[in-house]
Amino acid sequence: MGTVHAKAEQSLTEAPDFGSKNLPRDHAEPHTFKEIDLEAVRARVDRINVDGLARTKNDIVEDCIKELFKAKDFQDVLIKAHRARVKLDELGCFKNISVFIDTSKGDKATPDGLEVTFNVKEFTRLTGGVSTQVGNNEGALLIGMRAPNIFGRGERVQVEYSHGSKRTSNFNLSFIKPFRGSHRPTFTTSVFQSQSEWPSSGYKQLERGLLLDLGFYSTPFLKHNLQWEANIRDLSALSRTTSFEVREQSGLSLKSALKHILSFDLRDDLIFPSAGSLFQVTTEVAGIGGNVGFLKNDFFLQGNYALIEDVVIQGCLSAGLRWRTGTFLGGPLSVRGFEQRGIGPHSDGDALGATAHWSAGLHLFTPLPFRPGRGGFGELFRTHFFVNAGNVGNFRMSKDSDLIETLKANMRLSYGLGVALRLGNMARLEVNYCFPYSFDKGDQTHAGVQFGIGVQFL
Amino acid sequence: MSLIDRITVELGAQEPWPKDVKLFQPYDVEQILLPDNANCLAVQAFLKMCHLEFQLELRANAESMSPTLKVPFIKAGRFVTAELEGIVQFVNGKGISLTDKLDANQKADMRAYMSLLHSVIEVAELYICWVDKETYNEVTSIRNGSIYPWPLNHIQNVIKRHQVIKKLKALSWYNKTLEEVFQEVENCCEALSIRLDGKIYFFVDGPTELDALVFGHLFTILTTPLPRSDLANIVRKYPQLINLVKRIEDEYFKKQIKN
Repeated sequence: MGTVHAKAEQSLTEAPDFGSKNLPRDHAEPHTFKEIDLEAVRARVDRINVDGLARTKNDIVEDCIKELFKAKDFQDVLIKAHRARVKLDELGCFKNISVFIDTSKGDKATPDGLEVTFNVKEFTRLTGGVSTQVGNNEGALLIGMRAPNIFGRGERVQVEYSHGSKRTSNFNLSFIKPFRGSHRPTFTTSVFQSQSEWPSSGYKQLERGLLLDLGFYSTPFLKHNLQWEANIRDLSALSRTTSFEVREQSGLSLKSALKHILSFDLRDDLIFPSAGSLFQVTTEVAGIGGNVGFLKNDFFLQGNYALIEDVVIQGCLSAGLRWRTGTFLGGPLSVRGFEQRGIGPHSDGDALGATAHWSAGLHLFTPLPFRPGRGGFGELFRTHFFVNAGNVGNFRMSKDSDLIETLKANMRLSYGLGVALRLGNMARLEVNYCFPYSFDKGDQTHAGVQFGIGVQFL
Repeated sequence: MSLIDRITVELGAQEPWPKDVKLFQPYDVEQILLPDNANCLAVQAFLKMCHLEFQLELRANAESMSPTLKVPFIKAGRFVTAELEGIVQFVNGKGISLTDKLDANQKADMRAYMSLLHSVIEVAELYICWVDKETYNEVTSIRNGSIYPWPLNHIQNVIKRHQVIKKLKALSWYNKTLEEVFQEVENCCEALSIRLDGKIYFFVDGPTELDALVFGHLFTILTTPLPRSDLANIVRKYPQLINLVKRIEDEYFKKQIKN
């Protein structure tokens, strides 16, 4: 957050102690500090100024800041001013927001009156840029253009094109409209085209589609996304040696699917969290129109616990169930020590997919040995020890068999150590030395050095 | 022919004709179009002439499954080979050939006539199916779109039509009138009829892939009901060709049904 400045007249300075640490004090009199309870300082916000508004409409700004008038004491003012600032930031209209709190002056000023001023700077009409992006174990060049806040209420249009190192290319044009309301709903509509190659499964695909998304919060941290996606997928065999089972799937298909994503993220950091957990459940049903019908259920749980400062234990659990479509497991982002999609049924070396999977990981992140570059460059790195386990297959449930036994049978296990690197605030790069410990005959293992780049890791 | 193709043929040659050979083509009742049907029938005729066993597999997505994106294609063991020329080469690799007894001149002759069929009859079939409004609306668009759900069927029809028209433009056929197209077909049939010259097959020693290809196209033209029967009427003017088609049908296709 930005800086909250507080200036007050002499009569008030005795009360709050937030500035006192910076005041030069005589060492002989260290006990003249007064313990002040901020909640005891009565305050009332008389006026709020917002400076720097040009095309942003007043109503959405009012929504963000009106809570501030309800503040009763000075601590309340500070907290509510901070919340208002976060809300203004979430509108996505402003480049820079700073807050000033002053005593109110003038004819209508009340005795406890304060005047809060937000200085905002709006985005220009059109911004753009070229950047690099990492995800799904490949690097990509990203060209993007954005027209923020077009109609003055946070609406934006963005265009993105990316070209990846593994011959993937993506194009995306989207329109985003945030709405007013307590559940912070956001409506997104986008058209996209994505082209990708999957050498591990022997095919390439071209997808063109339309996505409608409604995101909202049901409680302050519980986020829902309701999506409808229609896309045309053109799947084709990558080479003459592609297995026939994969070749049989080639051709065009039209998918129309409803998707619900529920996420609950309380982590303190996206890349190297030291506390908090993430919980995500995805359900996708396809077959409302089109000729693709399936049901997908995925679940991901991550918990973090700091043993001592900077030494963090992370546990992950993920599971997925499929009806009439396939799931894959293995690779540097999932069960390490295996090739991408290397676990499970294969035909002529091409991964076929199975109906269910589960995987779990236990990680220990510590700072680099002897902590070079402490507090600076060295904080980008972590030493990483891990044990991964998982299983994929067409698990059949019968009355006699025990569920746990079925899932455990033929379990894959790998362990290893390596170095993890923070890339920006969105991706992680890992270089690990892996030891596949137990695996199946048909699996494609990857013992030794394995390299992974991605956003969500097991 | 690419290196990979050569290797495929070489490797395949080391094994005898497998038992599980399958010929993949689109659904013949509701989906297949005139030119595709002709090519599929030609390959079937060729394999039957070689007395090679195969199973017919009908797949809606046969075209996208094919390694050359054209139908038909065969799967023998792990190998997939598409189109008449490729399949002939594959079969030759197994030591089976219909053209052993032909000399170099006759072989060149045969290839010339085959390329005539490809560049005239096949292109004319494409023209009728995709450029002629009546045929396109009443037959082609319905059959081509039959395997896709709405609205993908309309999108696919437009894309495919665009592709075919692009090809026809490259061959400078798109600007031809129907009459000119029919004239080309008539000239081609004339040439074939003269070459046949009363013989049983095009070459004295027996049927070749040329006979298979002629059979495939002419049989399809004669038996496919279309809003325009002009093509069939042109072929009917050449009794020698009709006889050839009937003979191959009796010899290789009717027998199978009886058995």
